[in-house]
Amino acid sequence: MFIPLSILSEFLFIEPLFVIHVIEDRAFSFTLLVAISFMSAVVIPMNIYRIRTLQKSTTKIGGSLLGSIIGASAGICSCGPIGFSIISTFGTVAGTATAFLTYYEIPLRLVSLGLLCLVYYTTAKSISIKCKIQ
Amino acid sequence: MDAKTIIVAGTFVGIVLIVVTLFSSFQSGWDNNPGGMGMKTAPTINLENGSPALGSESAPITIVEFGDYQCESCYYWFHNTRSTLIDNYIETGKAKLVFVDLPFLGRDSITAAQASYCAEDQGKYWEYHTILYTFQDGAPDSGWANQDRLNSFAFTLEMNMDEFNDCMDSSKYKIRVKANYSEAVKQGAQATPTFIIISSDGTTKKFAGAQPYSVFAATIESML
Repeated sequence: MFIPLSILSEFLFIEPLFVIHVIEDRAFSFTLLVAISFMSAVVIPMNIYRIRTLQKSTTKIGGSLLGSIIGASAGICSCGPIGFSIISTFGTVAGTATAFLTYYEIPLRLVSLGLLCLVYYTTAKSISIKCKIQ
Repeated sequence: MDAKTIIVAGTFVGIVLIVVTLFSSFQSGWDNNPGGMGMKTAPTINLENGSPALGSESAPITIVEFGDYQCESCYYWFHNTRSTLIDNYIETGKAKLVFVDLPFLGRDSITAAQASYCAEDQGKYWEYHTILYTFQDGAPDSGWANQDRLNSFAFTLEMNMDEFNDCMDSSKYKIRVKANYSEAVKQGAQATPTFIIISSDGTTKKFAGAQPYSVFAATIESML
């Protein structure tokens, strides 16, 4: 998840050279991206385990996927190829939507991270109760 | 929804994200000739509607930037990479920079581009270009580049306001900006900023994004 998000957010470039470029202004955004990738990597497998092994409800994995998707979409740069395709196809409304994702990147990523932390907490609690040695 | 459906949907979203990202990135380059840093002989690029060249006309390398004045990435490139590039390649006569408008982010992008050419009429294109990227603030079409602000930028640069207003009111450069947009699309620019670096023998390299100075230096050095 880290690699596609870094490319979408223009922290990682693979053409013409493979280079990671984090400018000072965007260091916080990059930190959030690392945190979201890490939390997604922890929370999603935990929920898959929880569903498969403990046969529990699927609500929490929905929350973790939602958190990951918000985090990912917040990084889509409206200036980038995806933004360009969306705006060229759907016009002004799409322009406003992508601008929202770009402009509110940090708050959206904080929401995403909060959601992932919440899901982590509830999932960990659920697993530890079920797996407690009697 | 059962667990399997959710897992499959999640995996699908992930795969789509990866494929789209990689496709977009590879789209930004033309070729991947081994050892050639993706260089090829370019189709002719029409720069006659673009900005006046910044740097020596006889410079062997031409850096073409396709950009939008409301683009955040262009702002980052302008403030983090451009000045070093100017110091090391443009002021030394090794390269020149041409800006071609790709105004797709909103209506103010188009008027800002037109205003830059109205500034060119008074010999202040690059000053106006600089002021636009200096005062970029907020989301596209949020008002930072509305007509009043464009006028105030012109006023700050001590331009003749009657001449500037006449130019803007008559939409004198509407067609020029449209032509630049078409040229950018024709050249395959699908993001801003997109750069095409052209050497004296016609070899070109295209890449997108606010890439660091090191990428420009390596590309230019390999073409000199």
